[in-house]
Amino acid sequence: MADAHVSPAKYVWIWVWLAGLMLLGVALSEWPILPLPRPMIVLTVLGLSTVKAVLVAWYYMHLKFDRRWLIGVAAFPLLLLALAVLLGLSSVLVKL
Amino acid sequence: MSDAHAVSASHESATGIPSNKLGVWLFLASEIMFFAGLIGAYLFLRMSHPAWPGPEGHLSVPIGTANTFILICSSMTMVLAYAEMQRGRQTEAQRYLLLTALLGSAFLGVKAYEYSAKFHHGIFPKTNVFWSCYFTLTGFHALHVLGGIITNLYFWIQARRGRLTVSNAYYLELSGLYWHFVDIVWIFLFPLLYLI
Repeated sequence: MADAHVSPAKYVWIWVWLAGLMLLGVALSEWPILPLPRPMIVLTVLGLSTVKAVLVAWYYMHLKFDRRWLIGVAAFPLLLLALAVLLGLSSVLVKL
Repeated sequence: MSDAHAVSASHESATGIPSNKLGVWLFLASEIMFFAGLIGAYLFLRMSHPAWPGPEGHLSVPIGTANTFILICSSMTMVLAYAEMQRGRQTEAQRYLLLTALLGSAFLGVKAYEYSAKFHHGIFPKTNVFWSCYFTLTGFHALHVLGGIITNLYFWIQARRGRLTVSNAYYLELSGLYWHFVDIVWIFLFPLLYLI
């Protein structure tokens, strides 16, 4: 019970951040708020999603309070995914 | 879910992490691989089609946003259910747990509405590659949400019967790990399918 000292208010604050970041992502993709090219908007929106995912994993899934190497268990498949994407992209670039 | 079983289930492994928690995390790692494969395939298909998804691939952003908000709320109620159970506040924990299952059901209800609207317009998984990806990704995700709802309802019933208490509250943490994972998957599916 690693998170016994976290107050419910903290969880509510994380929820506020999650909802806010979600609305920011929707606003950025739907309205021309930032004078950026579309690929940069796409990267920004996906970056916001990554921040939300980290917030959920860090606080709601209690990774912040768990053993550090448990983060490795969660991150290892993501590293494999990154490797697969890089290999895929490299094969696309070679064809070009 | 006897106390004897609860005690044995919470024993720490050689890693210093309770065996059941480590088991759930390893299961989630395999689930990450599963969805990573699906999402990776979607990304490569999308990159190979510059005009993707085209005007015929329109999804309602307000409905998708509302559903994302529902799932974010359910993550909060799930973690609050665990926090309240840890503090021995049975009634509040049961309330949050039931609310989590209801919010998950609402998510599935909205998803069913979206599906029926697509079917009504003659859009099916075989329509084109975009819709194949859409129904595959959201369909598998919806099945995972359904699994989470059933699990949470099971623990809600156990709590109502007094079999889930502060002494074995970590069962809720394990259930919560799965529920939050399902939330994280949607956090990425929403922008990939609806926004960008």
